Amino acid sequence: MTDIQSTRASTAAELTIATPEGVLFRLPLAGPASRLYAMLLDTAIVLGTVNGVGLLVYWIFSKAPGFGFMVITLAEFAIGFAYSALLEGLWNGQTIGKRLFHLRVIDQDGLPLRIEQAWVRNLMRVFDALPFAYLVGGLSVLSSPLMQRFGDRVAGTLVVRQTPVAAPVEEFWMRQKYNSFMDYPVIAMKLRRAATPELATLIQDALRRRNQLAAYARREIYRELATYLQSEISLFPDELVEKLSDEQYLINASGILFGDQRLSRVQG
Amino acid sequence: MILDLERFRAQARPRWRDLESLLAALESRPDRQLNLAEAEQLQELYAQTAADLNRVTHGALAHELRQYLERLVARAYAELYYALPMRSEVWRPRRWLKIFTAFPETFRRHSRYFALAVSITLLGCAFGGLAVRYDPASVDVLLPADYLRNPGQRVHEEEQGLGRHLDSAQTEAAFSAQLIRHNIQVALLAAALGVTFGIGTALLLFENGVLLGAVAVHYTQRGFGLFMTAWLLPHGVFEIPSILIAGQAGFYLARLLLRRREDRDVRQSMREWLVLVAGLAMMLVWAGIMEAFFSQHHAPVLPYGFKVAVAAAELLLLTIYLLMIGRRGIGTEVRSSVPPENR
Repeated sequence: MTDIQSTRASTAAELTIATPEGVLFRLPLAGPASRLYAMLLDTAIVLGTVNGVGLLVYWIFSKAPGFGFMVITLAEFAIGFAYSALLEGLWNGQTIGKRLFHLRVIDQDGLPLRIEQAWVRNLMRVFDALPFAYLVGGLSVLSSPLMQRFGDRVAGTLVVRQTPVAAPVEEFWMRQKYNSFMDYPVIAMKLRRAATPELATLIQDALRRRNQLAAYARREIYRELATYLQSEISLFPDELVEKLSDEQYLINASGILFGDQRLSRVQG
Repeated sequence: MILDLERFRAQARPRWRDLESLLAALESRPDRQLNLAEAEQLQELYAQTAADLNRVTHGALAHELRQYLERLVARAYAELYYALPMRSEVWRPRRWLKIFTAFPETFRRHSRYFALAVSITLLGCAFGGLAVRYDPASVDVLLPADYLRNPGQRVHEEEQGLGRHLDSAQTEAAFSAQLIRHNIQVALLAAALGVTFGIGTALLLFENGVLLGAVAVHYTQRGFGLFMTAWLLPHGVFEIPSILIAGQAGFYLARLLLRRREDRDVRQSMREWLVLVAGLAMMLVWAGIMEAFFSQHHAPVLPYGFKVAVAAAELLLLTIYLLMIGRRGIGTEVRSSVPPENR
């Protein structure tokens, strides 16, 4: 399968891959800041390693400091270049720093990085690091739609962000045994018809982030959402609404919006 | 309007789990070989999950679910369409030894870029040499370091062995390491400057040529021609060609970038750039050792004639190596005979 006809397009923050099967998926690109942090960490690791090796070498060559110096200079140079290239090549595009900051280098067609690409993009650092502090590379990242430094452009690679995404869990508010809105199928159906996907997502997100919100903020947001729903979209009878907290109101509404099939059967 | 998300999730979750565990198993396995059953399973789960992703994409719903599915599809896509090289393939010593024949082969295959690098350097030499010849005052501008401007004093110091330590082997070792490192850095920069469409490479080569020409003429005018030849050539016969090869790599890279749209076999081309860089790095290691341990010894210790003879022998060996070693075939045959490793 060498002739993959995949195309790619991008916006500021992501790369969109269209596979030969016609599936689109997006990969979020890594910004310069996180890449800088990862690089600083990697630099610290390299310096630590080099100094560790240096101490060892001084100890071994204590009778011949000149040769010791030679070994250290060359080792430092070699480790400096080989560290990123070898790790990225063997670890599927990640160094220790990149792993900690959830970054990964990939081919710009969405495939894993090849070993040659890892070497080319890292040898090109001598150019990207010019004239100091990666100024050339940084400007290149900022001016490139794919956020590539020159090494990435030459090697055809880019850095993506890969924060871990949890597998979808069952949502607690879907599980309620009894939804009092079901007693008013006509109004419930109206709610279901009138709510836009954005509004539905908003309600769902507000509920999902329940525990991340401060108590007063939660009260405030839930009250606003519930009031809006009640006044603009679905007018449930007052005697029902009075008995419900704003949160319970939203949980019920969400239960109507996402998925209860009994509703349509009642209507049908 | 709204997809029945909960039911959809409940139905599809098992296959996402399956795909996830299959991918995890594959990614943790060093050889990454799929057997037939696994390949079929992967293909099927990939297709199903991709279809699920398509369904989720068309609503504005479930941002997190979409992210999760995109990640899953991306991983499966990578696993299906690309096989990482196996660890056994990477750690094969014979593969690494191939660099010794691949380097001269690549050098010959792209000799026209080498010729370009040589001409630009010669142009620089002529400029520097003529400038010093007809305008001696230009020495102050062209030669940066003080010792280059006052050959008499320098030659005297060198021949007297001033500024040398007793355990000179130690100092020489340290010196050679610094030389190797500095030279490789400069050469690598010349090769990398190909990104500037070769302009940077050309400027660097030209400047290098000017320096060479100016020093040569300046020392010869003062009658230190033999000293200079014996001083510079034992390492220069490796150092100068390696900078030229760096220029060759730079121009090659520039050409590659300019025609990237038409030529899709970028992978092989990048490998050739890497081979050139690796080869010139090896040459510079030798040059650094020679410069520190051999070039710095002068007349009473080592006669100039001997030093020049050593330099000539080195040059001969290098020429034979670059022109004769490896396959004789030209470009296209070699290129097409490289087996595609991408499965």
